[in-house]
Amino acid sequence: MVEFLAQTGLNALYAASYLSLIAVGLVLIFGVMRVINFAHGELYMAGAYCVVALYAQGRAPFLAAVAAGAVFVGLLGLLMERALFRPLRDNPLGGLVASIGFLMILQAAAAMGFGVRMQNIPPASQEVLVIADRVRLALPRLWVIIAAAVLLSALWLFLKRTRFGWALRASAQDREAAALQGISIDRTARVAMFIGAALAGIAGALTAPMVSVNPNMGHSVIISAFIIIIVGGIGSLEGAVIAAFAYAFVHTFVATFADAVIADIVGLLLMLAVLIVRPTGLMGTRDRA
Amino acid sequence: MRKGWSLLPVTRRRFIGGAAAGLALAPAAARRAPAQDKVVRIGFLAPLTGPVAAWGKPGLDGCRIWAERVNAAGGIRLADGSHQVEFVPYDDEYDPATARVGATKLVMEEGVSFVMMLGGDPWPGAQPVADRTGMLFSTLLPSDLGPDTPTLIAPAEVHPVYNVTAVDWLAENRPELKTAVMCAQDDALGLPSVATYLAAFEAAGIEMLEEPILFDPATTDFAPIVTRMLARGPQIVCLDTCYTDYVHPICEQLFQQGFRGQVLSCTADFYDQIIARTSKEWVEGMLFQFPDFDDPALNADFINFEDPNGFFATYNERHPGEWGAVSWEYASIMDLWKAAAEKAGSAEPAAVLAAMKEGGKGPHIFGEAEWWGADLFGIDNALVGNWPVVAIEDGKARIKEFRSIPAWYDRHGEILKKWMTEYGQMWNQR
Repeated sequence: MVEFLAQTGLNALYAASYLSLIAVGLVLIFGVMRVINFAHGELYMAGAYCVVALYAQGRAPFLAAVAAGAVFVGLLGLLMERALFRPLRDNPLGGLVASIGFLMILQAAAAMGFGVRMQNIPPASQEVLVIADRVRLALPRLWVIIAAAVLLSALWLFLKRTRFGWALRASAQDREAAALQGISIDRTARVAMFIGAALAGIAGALTAPMVSVNPNMGHSVIISAFIIIIVGGIGSLEGAVIAAFAYAFVHTFVATFADAVIADIVGLLLMLAVLIVRPTGLMGTRDRA
Repeated sequence: MRKGWSLLPVTRRRFIGGAAAGLALAPAAARRAPAQDKVVRIGFLAPLTGPVAAWGKPGLDGCRIWAERVNAAGGIRLADGSHQVEFVPYDDEYDPATARVGATKLVMEEGVSFVMMLGGDPWPGAQPVADRTGMLFSTLLPSDLGPDTPTLIAPAEVHPVYNVTAVDWLAENRPELKTAVMCAQDDALGLPSVATYLAAFEAAGIEMLEEPILFDPATTDFAPIVTRMLARGPQIVCLDTCYTDYVHPICEQLFQQGFRGQVLSCTADFYDQIIARTSKEWVEGMLFQFPDFDDPALNADFINFEDPNGFFATYNERHPGEWGAVSWEYASIMDLWKAAAEKAGSAEPAAVLAAMKEGGKGPHIFGEAEWWGADLFGIDNALVGNWPVVAIEDGKARIKEFRSIPAWYDRHGEILKKWMTEYGQMWNQR
């Protein structure tokens, strides 16, 4: 039983890691751009397809493909900022609709470029960390956990300890006041979009060999990401990380001990319960919500 | 700059030249006309995109090879002469509403004489079209059959009933395996298969360690499901009729979480990729139900498929790495349809169906079979006979044996009916 619990805990830790990368990116974009980016799941998908193109088909080293995926998806974020969100800056609903359009474009591009079928990606490593007879962690899963810890820590330091991080946070709190202080809103928006998109791209690229890579793969993660940012408090990065861990652990344990469908229902109930008790989410403030 | 709507600078000289060339080519075109005019159109209504596309698109590719072979050999000989065959595909996206639109278009606009489907979730969408028009439809999933639609047949695959053959073979050849667990996606393909495997395990004296795990088809991370399946130390892990998109990551998780027992699955499409995700040793002995067509066992006299080895070679040449469970199935249905149409001398759905079912027997790909199914499906519209049990040996799929489904059903039919009823899969429950 202990081994069973430990293995389930490792499964949950892995899920929490990649979900926090996606959710934090989504929160960052919302915080600075004030736009719900419905195409965020497709940015995750784009990261996975970079690994298909460079690692599975182009024979590039896996980690190089992941890095290229992060940059490519970050550039997609810049494109979204310049072409979609900046012209619609004063129209949040317009930005949301534009992101849905971009989602469809990315899906169609993936289908046209790679076909609609699941892509075969050779495992990045077949090494498995054997902790006990029935407690094992595959190396690629460990990479996801480590990458999430390193990247989220780096992001936290960047936001809290650097001048540009302060500017980004100021811009997220009050755009006009930040502009009056001489902060370039366009520049902070570009950086937020690049980082937010790149985080989703990294999550997609790192998990690509372990999931079914297909043009529709963004759907499943975006629903979980929305639940997480609502539970965490829309606009709160710390809240997104805490909620990602809470959601992943609850979902994984319920899926393992009861049923995966019940786990989905419990995930939604968790969101409802948090909204009833704290309408702003775990770490949200009234202003952000 | 030219004025007016014309895009080409047509001069009198060019017009005369073009007309002369057209007249010169006309007799040759006219000579070919009779053969080209007579065409039988066959509808292919199956998922060509999305997670179930692996059971649609390879079938269409197989059908196109079949059509080339048949057309090259003179086409289909009906009472009014030879007809070329042409497939008209429509992607049903494994969705009933899309299937309804597709069925209507194929039957009402494209003038097809027969519609082949994968079946399952999309069938309820196409069913009203079949009922209204009397069009002959086929499904790979006999669980779609019912007495309300006598023009729906399952002439190739008796999914999921053939799954009993692998369990029966396993019980005989590896009697030391006594415990099993199972997982499946919770849908029209997964549930009847779960009931069938439960019946087969019960008949074989293999104990299920826990209830089958039914997962949401949107699942992407299978680690929790595999952890749960392995918690009780099963000897057999059964993957039911999981889609290819699930079989591969589940196998990878089984491998990573240390399972080294027997894996049983309805399909193992693209098993070379499973080997790449695990190891050749891990996959050794994995049992499933769909052979590669270069298997020497398919050259036996009782096999009703023209040159299976050549078909496999052509398929792999054109679609390398894409051979799967359904690559040959729709083509084998076309063999049956062609024989019946030639016997009837007509492509009319009613005439073909009558010719196909004459005498209650038919040439199924794996040997002579009988029209069967009233007990389970409410109508004898499934062509049932032998089915192969396939194992991976040294990295290659090989047929271990052909086993009789009716013979198993004669011994254990009541158990199957019990589990089908338990899961609400009998024809009168659906």
